[in-house]
Amino acid sequence: MEKKNKVSRRRFLQFAGAAGAALAGSAFPFRNLKSAWAFGDHPQEQLPYRITKKVPQVCARACECDCAYTIVVGVDPATGVERAITVEGRPEDPVSNGKFCIKAMGFVDSMYDPDRLMVSLKRTNKKKGIDVDPGWVIMKTDDAVNEIIGKLKTFRREDIVFASPGDPYTNRLCMSLGCTRSDQRTECFGTHYYINCLTTTNPPNMFYSSSYTPSHHVCGYDYDTSKYQVWFGFDSFSKCGKAGMLNHWAAGKRNGCKIVMLNPVRTPMTDAFAGEFYPIKPGTDLAVALAMINVIIKDKKYNKSFVDKYSDAAALVDVKTKAALKTADGSFLAWSTKNKKAEAIDECDSPALEGGPFKVNGVNAKPVMQLLKEATKSNTPEWAAKISEVPAKDIRRIALEFAAAAPYSMIPTYKRDAAGPNYANSWRLRHAINILNSLVGSIDHDGGILLLHGVKLPWLDDMNPPVVPYPPKPAKHADFREEFPVTNNIYRNKDFSAPGHYGMIGWGLYKTTRAKAVFFRNPHRGLHAMIQPQMMEAAADKLDLIIDWNLYLDDLGYFCDYVIPAPHQFEEAKLDIRLYYPKYPAYAGGTPVQKAPGDQIGWGGFAMKIGMALAPKYWTTDGSGNPDKKIPTNIGDVAVKQAGVAENAAEFMKNGGLWVDKKPYENYKHLAQIGYGKPNGRVRMYVDEFAEVGHSPLPIWAPRWHESTGKFKFSLLITRAPWIMHADPNFVNNPVMKEINTRSHMDTVWINPKAAAKLGVKEGEEVLLENDPKYMKDLPRPVKAKIHLTTRIAREDCVLLFHGIGHRAKNLKVGANYGYRDGDLIPQKNPAMSKKHDPTGMGWVEDVYVSIKKTS
Amino acid sequence: MKEYAILLDTTYCTGCNSCAYRCIQEFRYHDQAAKGLFRTFVQINDDGLYHKRCMHCIEPDCVANCPVKALTKSESGQVLYDAKKCIGCQTCVRSCKFGIPLFDEITKKIVKCSMCAHRTGQGKLPACVEVCSTGALQFGEYQEIRAKAKDMAVKNNLKIYGMVQNGGTHLFVLAKVDPATFGYPKVPAKDIKKGVSMGDLPAMPMAIAAVAIGGLKKLSERRALVEAEEKDKEPKK
Repeated sequence: MEKKNKVSRRRFLQFAGAAGAALAGSAFPFRNLKSAWAFGDHPQEQLPYRITKKVPQVCARACECDCAYTIVVGVDPATGVERAITVEGRPEDPVSNGKFCIKAMGFVDSMYDPDRLMVSLKRTNKKKGIDVDPGWVIMKTDDAVNEIIGKLKTFRREDIVFASPGDPYTNRLCMSLGCTRSDQRTECFGTHYYINCLTTTNPPNMFYSSSYTPSHHVCGYDYDTSKYQVWFGFDSFSKCGKAGMLNHWAAGKRNGCKIVMLNPVRTPMTDAFAGEFYPIKPGTDLAVALAMINVIIKDKKYNKSFVDKYSDAAALVDVKTKAALKTADGSFLAWSTKNKKAEAIDECDSPALEGGPFKVNGVNAKPVMQLLKEATKSNTPEWAAKISEVPAKDIRRIALEFAAAAPYSMIPTYKRDAAGPNYANSWRLRHAINILNSLVGSIDHDGGILLLHGVKLPWLDDMNPPVVPYPPKPAKHADFREEFPVTNNIYRNKDFSAPGHYGMIGWGLYKTTRAKAVFFRNPHRGLHAMIQPQMMEAAADKLDLIIDWNLYLDDLGYFCDYVIPAPHQFEEAKLDIRLYYPKYPAYAGGTPVQKAPGDQIGWGGFAMKIGMALAPKYWTTDGSGNPDKKIPTNIGDVAVKQAGVAENAAEFMKNGGLWVDKKPYENYKHLAQIGYGKPNGRVRMYVDEFAEVGHSPLPIWAPRWHESTGKFKFSLLITRAPWIMHADPNFVNNPVMKEINTRSHMDTVWINPKAAAKLGVKEGEEVLLENDPKYMKDLPRPVKAKIHLTTRIAREDCVLLFHGIGHRAKNLKVGANYGYRDGDLIPQKNPAMSKKHDPTGMGWVEDVYVSIKKTS
Repeated sequence: MKEYAILLDTTYCTGCNSCAYRCIQEFRYHDQAAKGLFRTFVQINDDGLYHKRCMHCIEPDCVANCPVKALTKSESGQVLYDAKKCIGCQTCVRSCKFGIPLFDEITKKIVKCSMCAHRTGQGKLPACVEVCSTGALQFGEYQEIRAKAKDMAVKNNLKIYGMVQNGGTHLFVLAKVDPATFGYPKVPAKDIKKGVSMGDLPAMPMAIAAVAIGGLKKLSERRALVEAEEKDKEPKK
């Protein structure tokens, strides 16, 4: 037996030889080592371009984040010409953490878009319209600006509207002219801003500033260290591409954060980041939020220490007048359970949160917390479940988990999320969200809501106060803002950069003669940024003067008398604060990558020319109007000098253009500085201004404005592709992004396959979307589009549209006549109706039901 | 020479296609991309996100079948393409089981990822990996990435794609469900022994050494046996 297992030498040599031959034959194990090219010699191992320089820049206008990055400039092999090639991240930037998105890269290529506007255009054909030849004549920009100034001089101040975000130059200009500033951009997230002002901060707070970002946030979100988040419609497709947020969400996920998402759409964000997903019925998020308040108060899971010290929970309210009681110097009053009397809230060491009414100077008063408890008493999870279709047991559990994880928990909102002006009841949802974040003590705490601090970009008025008071503002505005006293008070008396009324400016232009001249400071939004643009189009013929300062001749240009070319954002210097991750005080700067290649004029210079011509006393240091005494506009120099970061902006940029003060976030410190009320700022849950205009001072349930009737059963949901921002030709006129968009079906309308089966429509068929005439009474414009059937639309009662496509301007050779325009389906609002639903009067852009039918 | 691989954790991907656009800018192929010819592209499908990109097979069929050796397997694991050698026969298009090489009808050349060989050779990350906002794309030495993929799959209960398909690849895809359910081609596994990668080389010398040691041992045993036999043959004293 033993001998049987023994291998003879001959046998071994035979085996080894055979194995060697087999290995040699197959080249194993060195088969892959056989290289056709020496290392580094292969053409694909050569850098495809030659880098010549790297220029620091800050993103602007692509999303909320404003990532800091570097533009890589090199020699393009295709042309041999130096140009911006791509983007590199700056890992030291707290917002971007070294990342950047597809849109930032799109901006690089759009500098060379052949359809960029290089010259000033003047219309010679009085008839306006997208299919009308404007009879453009080319002008030198200087000459065009002078003509525009000459024409503006012929109008009364109240006849002029500047459709422009509240940047330092626009503010100064509109204040000095005494005209209306009502932008169609910032308004789309106006609700958010106003509710923040009314609850979280006093506008303008000591740190509030904005040079480029028009959204006026003071709140950021600490996604990195948060442990629990609830997203009400926060996970739109546009979020899927926001690098400045994505890197933080990823950090949070790795840190074990649980995110509960409520959304009728299941996006890739949901797939990647949702711990739980509920396909909530559109427009009912408020019900869930109210039920969460109900559970947290009923189970006493609120953070008593926080609400005592940093909120108005103990503030006494006159139950009859619904007004908060205050001391002579403006402090809230609270009921002392120890001393059995009302005391200034900051001095009351045992304030009553519940109970009452308490007698205060003959007035029956209750604490805000008690009123909140009463207001939400019937909003049980079971009640909310019937409305929202989110199970009651889950609502209760989510509320308790949210409270248990606090202060490392939060409900974030940005811009036009569900908490923005999506529905007529969304201002209440935004209010409820602020209350929820307050109840659990997540505001002004790491892992929760971060407040801007330690940085300041001065306004022109900070640097150059007017030598005489500004002229009065118009009594009546084209956007009807005077009909909404709560927000108008902020605009008129506290923050002139506050948003106007997105949902009514079109109505005002079309239905009234309040405006005769409109100036669009409109880099790359066009008519698309306005809902129901058909109203603006129809109004164009009766307006005497329309001007557009723009990067492109887009749809709006075809209705304008003058179109003036603007520089690309990478052709401008910048200084930006890190508003969207304000954990650390920080500044980031940008240097122009190149000179504007045509006859462009920057906005600051344009505004200065108009100001010097029409209101020179406000644009000169001594009010003389002497051109040698123009007010200084070196905001960047002043900001970095005041912060002790550098002597001036040039030195700041020379040193790299990025400064971050990485000291730990001081929890609950900043709220006292910028919060509502005095002497110590607090979060205000109870807004008595709402009561003054007939609305509830605390959020209460209200259904959507738009009801589903008959065939109008598809709730309109709107999102954007991750590579598109608004209707910006920088992206839509980019042939690569158009291809990406098409391959992603984002030029179609999306519905659930079951809903499609009921309609009898198949993938790729053309459908017609129409408004309910009860809600779209003027100028309806149905939308034709191809349909995409997808289970990403989690409900059968919804249709998802993608914003930003549907350009019609013929000179946008790539973007024109591609897709559909969502805004055509969203009605401008009658202000009389609007104020019955919403004291902020915002856009409610998704408060629409449409019908869907096959076109053939 | 190090051998590299990419790990794609789809549970962190949001389909932003920043990777696609960064790739386009890196290689300056905007015109081709505008026609749908992408080296890498993320398709947002109902059940997941499909990254259509070269898997950089260990045994690439495109390399094996290219009649003019325009496609080669580099020492770093990357499948590289030499457009000057390419005759546009599209053999690679037909032979790739993953359906990756795209043929440009205008240039008569193919479009395919090189895993940024020009960058990785300089110690940089591939452009797509560098730009990825969530870290869904990771890059590293083959053995480390392979081990990481296995480890993450176990820890997070994820499926791996690319470990066995076509004998193994240099791109490992992690997903909650089988990636073949949301766009990845169903590519059969090949005998992994045939598909041993460069990264598996540390195992090879050991195997050769084992054969050698075994052989020497056998030789030694045989010598002892022969000596014993010869002793037996000696006349008894």
